[in-house]
Amino acid sequence: MLDLRPRILSVGTANPPERWSQQELLDRFKVTDPKITSLFTSSHIRSRHLYLPPGKPEGGPEEETQGDLLRKHRRGTIEVAPSAVQACLGPMGLTVKDIDYLCCITSTGWLTPGVSAILIKTMGFREDCSRVDIVGMGCNAGLNGLNPVSAWAMANPGRNALMVCNEICSAAYVFDGSMRTAIVNSLFGDGVAAVLVRASEQDERAFAPKILGFDSHIIPPAMDAMRFDWDEEQGKYSFFLDRDIPYVVGANAEKPVGRLLAKFGLRRRHISHWIVHSGGKKVVDAIKYNVGLTDYDVRHTHSVLRDYGNLSSGSFLFSYARLLQEGRVRRGDYGILMTMGPGSTIETALIRW
Amino acid sequence: MYETLSFDERGDLALLTLKRSRINVKQIRELERVLDHLEDVSKAKALVIRGHSEGIDFLDFDPREAMDIHGFNKWEKLVNRLEALDKVTVALIDGPCVGGGFQLTMVCDQRICVPTATFQLPEVRLGFLPGMATFRLAKYVGLGHAKRIVMTGTVLGAEEAQRLGLVDAVALDLDAALASTLASFGAMHTVAFTLARRLLNESYGTQGEDALGNFLAAQHRAISQTAFLDTLRAERKKT
Repeated sequence: MLDLRPRILSVGTANPPERWSQQELLDRFKVTDPKITSLFTSSHIRSRHLYLPPGKPEGGPEEETQGDLLRKHRRGTIEVAPSAVQACLGPMGLTVKDIDYLCCITSTGWLTPGVSAILIKTMGFREDCSRVDIVGMGCNAGLNGLNPVSAWAMANPGRNALMVCNEICSAAYVFDGSMRTAIVNSLFGDGVAAVLVRASEQDERAFAPKILGFDSHIIPPAMDAMRFDWDEEQGKYSFFLDRDIPYVVGANAEKPVGRLLAKFGLRRRHISHWIVHSGGKKVVDAIKYNVGLTDYDVRHTHSVLRDYGNLSSGSFLFSYARLLQEGRVRRGDYGILMTMGPGSTIETALIRW
Repeated sequence: MYETLSFDERGDLALLTLKRSRINVKQIRELERVLDHLEDVSKAKALVIRGHSEGIDFLDFDPREAMDIHGFNKWEKLVNRLEALDKVTVALIDGPCVGGGFQLTMVCDQRICVPTATFQLPEVRLGFLPGMATFRLAKYVGLGHAKRIVMTGTVLGAEEAQRLGLVDAVALDLDAALASTLASFGAMHTVAFTLARRLLNESYGTQGEDALGNFLAAQHRAISQTAFLDTLRAERKKT
């Protein structure tokens, strides 16, 4: 019997045109509070793509209301997501007309109709394209999306599913001079990643990994450690990151990884490639020492963080794209995809080339 | 069961004896099998590697064929696994310890040798490189000594090896020396032990904020284990 597991056949990424170094951001908004400037400059991050408001002459950004931020999210989606979709489909010789199922993921803005409807209209997908939007699940959501996308592909052999992780994090920025918002503003960047998933006999010889399985882990006591809630004073949604996140994630990281490996009778040494979400330097350190990964294992996680910041749900797909570019993957290699975010939650998936 | 080595496990102690004086493909495969067992099944607290080795077996290489690097990669992965093992590892050296054999001992936690043992990395003299030992050796002996050892291929006696810090003890009776070495480790807290070893191995390569980040991540893992909580409870009882 043919093993018709779905495969990740292609990946494409895109970012807004403007790229900023940490120092350029401080200069643009004339930030002088040493606690905040050191947060930016001591960071592992070198640059990020962002949609930024102009700076005021006296310092700080021009005021953006929640309405402005929502419009920014919509505009960023329309400007950036199509490039990621093209970059994903182009090399496969496909167009959006070939897509049967579209899953769009975002946590950086609220839209109804959602991102999927906007992309279908602006890019000309077919009218009978099935769709789903996963909204508000945060940095882990790429794997929360890949799970149903993979299941849909299994249930619909030969048909094309496209997942788009669309995060315009600069549409979730609040500038109020507090450390809480400075941490967020120093970390997240804008970017979109798209992957094509299909279960088809025609891909039997393709050098594309099969998606073998998933394992999830939620940590209810740490529900408030990462949250996007309403800031009454600012009249905006504001993201909060607890300083203990790296340790909460670290202390639990072995659990889903262990279960996932056990389901397939594998050991950690059998995993050649670790594709870990670029959550931040400390979170990645925690994963390294708790799962037993080396700097080499997380090289793309680090370099994506350095070059783009935390791209929320799409980060791990940027690392995945870099892994493929590097050209060291061999047929038969196993890989583990790992994302973490609000819940607090850790999501994992096993793939094999 | 094995041809190039023997392996035996008694209670807390696993004993691996090298029976082939040169490392060949067969021995590497058998070492991998032993490591599979040690990682997946074994409950031993300590691994002892006993014997001597003249380094790699050149008969495995055919000068008429294109050279390929994958075998070296396989070897380094094996060495890394031994280095990361969740057991105390002790090398008992009863003769020449050359090339790959020297490398194996360098990733162990302790090295004990007989007075007639010798240590050598002759690779550069032979036209190739002594593996990742090039990186590890300097951490033990300092860059100056490492340059002399690697670049001249000089033969070190047991006494000099001990003076340079490559060997922890020189003894006629290896078994007696082993017993006292194992006793010196006391009750081992696996997580703290392996994390400490990892940080030490990374100590020359990581600096500043990166090192601090690594330490904090490792320390959090250590203090979240029952071993540390047991220590805290025991200390409370004392007062």
